[in-house]
Amino acid sequence: MTAALIETRVLGKSFGPTPILRDVNLSVEAGHGAAVVGANGAGKSTLIRLLAGLSAPSLGAAMLFGEPARSLRPELRRRVGLLSHQSFLYPNLTARENLEFYATLYGVDDARATAIEWLERVALGAVADSRVHGFSRGMEQRLALARAMLVRPDVLMLDEPFAALDADGAALATELVRDAMDRGCAVLASAHSASALAELGFAILTLSRGRLVRAEPSTTRSAARPPLARQQVS
Amino acid sequence: MSPFSAVLRKDLLLEVRGGQSTVALGALSLLVLVVLVFAFNPGGGEQGAEAAAGALWVALVFSGMLGATRAVSAENENGCMRALLMSPLDRAALYAAKLAAAFIFMGIAEAASIILMVLFFNLEFDARVMRLVPAVLLGALGFAALATLLAAISSRLRGGDLVLPLLAVPMFVPALIAGVKASAAALAGAPLAGSAVWLKVLVAFDVMFVAAGYLLFEYVAGEE
Repeated sequence: MTAALIETRVLGKSFGPTPILRDVNLSVEAGHGAAVVGANGAGKSTLIRLLAGLSAPSLGAAMLFGEPARSLRPELRRRVGLLSHQSFLYPNLTARENLEFYATLYGVDDARATAIEWLERVALGAVADSRVHGFSRGMEQRLALARAMLVRPDVLMLDEPFAALDADGAALATELVRDAMDRGCAVLASAHSASALAELGFAILTLSRGRLVRAEPSTTRSAARPPLARQQVS
Repeated sequence: MSPFSAVLRKDLLLEVRGGQSTVALGALSLLVLVVLVFAFNPGGGEQGAEAAAGALWVALVFSGMLGATRAVSAENENGCMRALLMSPLDRAALYAAKLAAAFIFMGIAEAASIILMVLFFNLEFDARVMRLVPAVLLGALGFAALATLLAAISSRLRGGDLVLPLLAVPMFVPALIAGVKASAAALAGAPLAGSAVWLKVLVAFDVMFVAAGYLLFEYVAGEE
């Protein structure tokens, strides 16, 4: 059994006296995917923020590559991609400049060529030199997805990846995530609804009031799909 | 291109396209100098030099707060600071890039302020103005270092816009006194060696706050 790339152990997070996450245990191995679903305020985004190292756990551990996410070494941070609620894009930079900037930060060889390649992949090649502040929400989401994936991460975390995407955009996002999993990326996604992510062979974990209350293996497995993510529900 | 250079280039590019900070800094410097020249109504000589030096440093403090705040707050749009913290970018290098951007913004504003000061206070563009430059540059560096660190703290706080000036101005007082004294001496015609003790205070302030920012930025920039 391969080691989990994404893992939480008795993970808890509180803001003051208010618990947001309680006793969350999950793990996702290379080439597997898990979807965390739940209502607004269930704690999905908080879980992803903890795993991205942007916030410190109140209890337990959030780990990537077997190390605490909060203190991940730079060489491991290079292998993590995050699609958040916020786009992480600079409105006054062009689409190409945004991707080039992040490619440079992540040490990607030939940042310009990589930026152009990914703009074509997310069907934004025609607006490469347009500033982001003029983009629609759907275009921003595509660009943000390209930003998260251009480093070819081994761990990919997606907070509501299909938000603001039309049918073509959702199909594109699905294809990109499938490609990432096929090359061994571990993916953790959050969503209100599990249907689109279940198509990808994701295990479905239901979060309610900060607790994982249900774990469902995918019912759409095929011989070509990698085995399901392992999950434990306390 | 190094990550430090990429962040600095990005900040400068955003400023060239937005132009908000530089124009605002210039306008603020102009306003401060105009008000103070009419308030002090300085004559020539030593009194005039002290008044001019004081006005210049008031403009530096105000423009410094605006410049440092802008350098940090530009990352708050669309959560870009989170993306930077998640990246492999060394957080000390991030601080250094923000400090460099704030220093450049302040330097541009200070250059404009010096020109306005010479015009409004009836000075001459001569060696005395050149002897002013070391003190102004050291002061700009120290204030940029202090304000960048405090801006990172205040950006996470409710009412952070109030916190920055409340913290930055009192902490900058020693360097402010030294800078005004060194500048006044320079404008009065004293040689640079005569301002040595005040320049040393500025250097010490710069070393202290650049080091503090370098060491502490990663702790203040992250979330709880």
